[in-house]
Amino acid sequence: MFIVLRLMVIAGLVAAWPAAAQQFPVKPVRLIVPFAPGGPNDILGRLVAQKLTEQWGQQVIVENRGGAGGTIGLEAAVRSPKDGYTLAMGGTSNLTVAPSLYEKLAYDPLKDVTPIINVAAVPYALAVNPTVPAKTARELIPIALRKTGYLSYGSSGTGSMSSLAAELFKSLSKTQIVHVPYKGTAPALTDVVSGQIDLMFADLALIKPLAERGRLRAIGITGAKRSPSARELPTIAESGLPGYDIEPWFGVITTEGVPRPIVMRINAGIAAALKSPDVLQRLAALGYEPLGGTPEQFAATIKADIAKYAAVVKAAGIKAEL
Amino acid sequence: MVETFNSLMMGFSVAFQPQVLMYAFFGCIIGTLVGMMPGLGPLAGISLLLPATFGLNPIIAIVLLSGVYYGAMYGGSTTSILMRIPGEAASVMTCVDGYAMTQQGRAGPALAIAAIGSFVAGTLGVIGLMLLAPTLADFALRFGPPEYTALLLMGLFVLAYMSGGSMLKTLAMAVFGLLLGMIGIDVMSGYTRFSFGITELGDGVGIVPVAVGLFGISEILMTAGQADPPKVQQPTLRQLVPTASDLRQSVGPIARGSLLGFMIGIIPGSAHIISSFVSYGMERRLSKTPERFGQGAIEGVAGPESANNAAATGAFVPMLALGIPTGPVTAVMLAAIMVHGILPGPMLIQQQPDLFWGFVASMYVGNVVLLVLNLPMVGLFVNLLRIPYAYLYPCILAFCIVGCYSVSNSTMDVWIMLVMGVVGYVLRKFGFDLAPVALGLVLGPMLELSLRQSLAMSGGDYAIFLQRPIAVTMLVLAVVLLFFAVKPLIFKGKDWRSKVGLDEPADS
Repeated sequence: MFIVLRLMVIAGLVAAWPAAAQQFPVKPVRLIVPFAPGGPNDILGRLVAQKLTEQWGQQVIVENRGGAGGTIGLEAAVRSPKDGYTLAMGGTSNLTVAPSLYEKLAYDPLKDVTPIINVAAVPYALAVNPTVPAKTARELIPIALRKTGYLSYGSSGTGSMSSLAAELFKSLSKTQIVHVPYKGTAPALTDVVSGQIDLMFADLALIKPLAERGRLRAIGITGAKRSPSARELPTIAESGLPGYDIEPWFGVITTEGVPRPIVMRINAGIAAALKSPDVLQRLAALGYEPLGGTPEQFAATIKADIAKYAAVVKAAGIKAEL
Repeated sequence: MVETFNSLMMGFSVAFQPQVLMYAFFGCIIGTLVGMMPGLGPLAGISLLLPATFGLNPIIAIVLLSGVYYGAMYGGSTTSILMRIPGEAASVMTCVDGYAMTQQGRAGPALAIAAIGSFVAGTLGVIGLMLLAPTLADFALRFGPPEYTALLLMGLFVLAYMSGGSMLKTLAMAVFGLLLGMIGIDVMSGYTRFSFGITELGDGVGIVPVAVGLFGISEILMTAGQADPPKVQQPTLRQLVPTASDLRQSVGPIARGSLLGFMIGIIPGSAHIISSFVSYGMERRLSKTPERFGQGAIEGVAGPESANNAAATGAFVPMLALGIPTGPVTAVMLAAIMVHGILPGPMLIQQQPDLFWGFVASMYVGNVVLLVLNLPMVGLFVNLLRIPYAYLYPCILAFCIVGCYSVSNSTMDVWIMLVMGVVGYVLRKFGFDLAPVALGLVLGPMLELSLRQSLAMSGGDYAIFLQRPIAVTMLVLAVVLLFFAVKPLIFKGKDWRSKVGLDEPADS
């Protein structure tokens, strides 16, 4: 079934014809999700695809193309025709961290990408094993200082958002916390629950239910402001580490050179979707915060975050290559 | 206990709703078909079908997916036995003796035993899951990286019992597998190793393309290289049914495989893939006639098939306790309900009892459906072998390529599979056994990661392995296993290996 769909998409692309923005889209649109199904990127991508399909009366087909930290899928999007029929879900990792992480990244997010709209922020939180005697970030810092090299943090991989959030914490608080990388968020979180490692930065959505049962203690939100889904949880910045701000987001991009009217039409479509009650309800259930805005605002966010994470990556001394 | 029973009854009332039942049935059929597709195993099957469930309600979605999961597991053994094509790492061992049985015209009994073993193991697994989950989950959580390292080391020593050929060749192949496992991004440092600038290799070499290539494609090449085409099989009805002695020989392996698989399965992470390898090694070690293994021993099908199904169920134990995915399969399952805004977590069972117990009940239902579906179909499947090889093999090759590609839309996987097919062909011509390659490739990256995680936790101090009771116990067991393995090298001629003949190629 999937192969048939895929063939249909390819056939559609071959038969590309110039489309005025008002008529866009006149054939199915492909939305590349550069991760395996099931993650936040995929959930948001499918929500967007479903809403655009309803609005346009044209199929928006999600294609999961995972690999290499989400860079393989973005590379595929960037290499597609400049007609707006190939979109991709970008994120903090593959749009803003990847340039400083990988020396030979196949695309330049500032040159090869047309930002369309930022879709949603996925708030991260800091969680510790309940045996760690810290209730706030302020209390954690002295423990981390005292136990130099003995507190450990788990991450979903070197260079992942969860590892960068911890590295920024370390460099701002001047502490040393040992990094224990895992393959993916879930195994790392499991080991924080069981006390194999002490703490972790991860999606609030995953941490919240565990914290409610006392399996973990959530001690702070990583973003600049509190999350609507956990009002009682202070930000790390306000509870002891001023200037700390990590907020992963996911947005829709296409390749460079796509005509402005088409970009604006897609932007308007997704912006409308982000206002519809069922989408808002779905996002709220997962604790994701809708963002929206203009392509320019999204471009500015990307630019600012590239500079921000370049500094974090440099301070942490992470180097990688592709 | 009473409470569990009542909850389960409620679960059945959900599972027996006509609509849910229909989807469970549907899932099993899709799963069986997906599993029969070369290169597509249970994990790939549910990942591919996950998006299709987003439009359904959460209970139906999870029932459908678990049907697909179990179905793919059954279907995977079918292609392993009939065509030597594993759909996933866990069916690699089934290929060895299952296919050997097929070549002797005993495909029917092999398929039937695989289905019966899977049914018994799956059902025992669900019962264990239901009754023991809370107790076992806390034990499972004590498995950190050091315990994992010890477990995987034990798995590595099972190698000694995996092949009947020369020990040197076995170890050489294991090292080849371990080396293949080195390819890709190093999780600790983020550096890419041995990728030769190919971005796709950054995620490492997948076990599925390698296994399909080494086992399936190489078999096609071997057959093509024969002077006379192999005789098309015409199995009679009597040959389809397992004999009384087949059943008697399988009881022990099925029981042991179920227990072993379940215990390995509850450990969070991906350890469950080694269960079938360990089961095979164990059955061979316990067997009075180990020389039959590799030549069509039914125990070599019964044990691993039961182990991998029990492990699949065991994997749900930590997920149910914590409500967070602890392995790749549970991650996909939970994604199916997260899409509907249901947050997984320790409260899941209390907050969504009908979802949880409906899921458990549907696993019972699924196992029965699959047995009913698969046993009568044995005859049908075996008849696939009636197709002349000149038509059958090109089709299989095409299916292998399509299946391999569709897992992650990657042409790189297809190339890996094809290259491994040629490599497998050459190695088999020289009398090398290929199962150790698969075990090496599975174990290598996991062992490296957990070893380095342990050392990161301890600040580089190896004593961490001696300070933890579970880890120490397993390391001692590993040393004992190692001793038994090297014994024949020290005291020559005391081992079953001498009966086999050290340099007899096990595979041709």
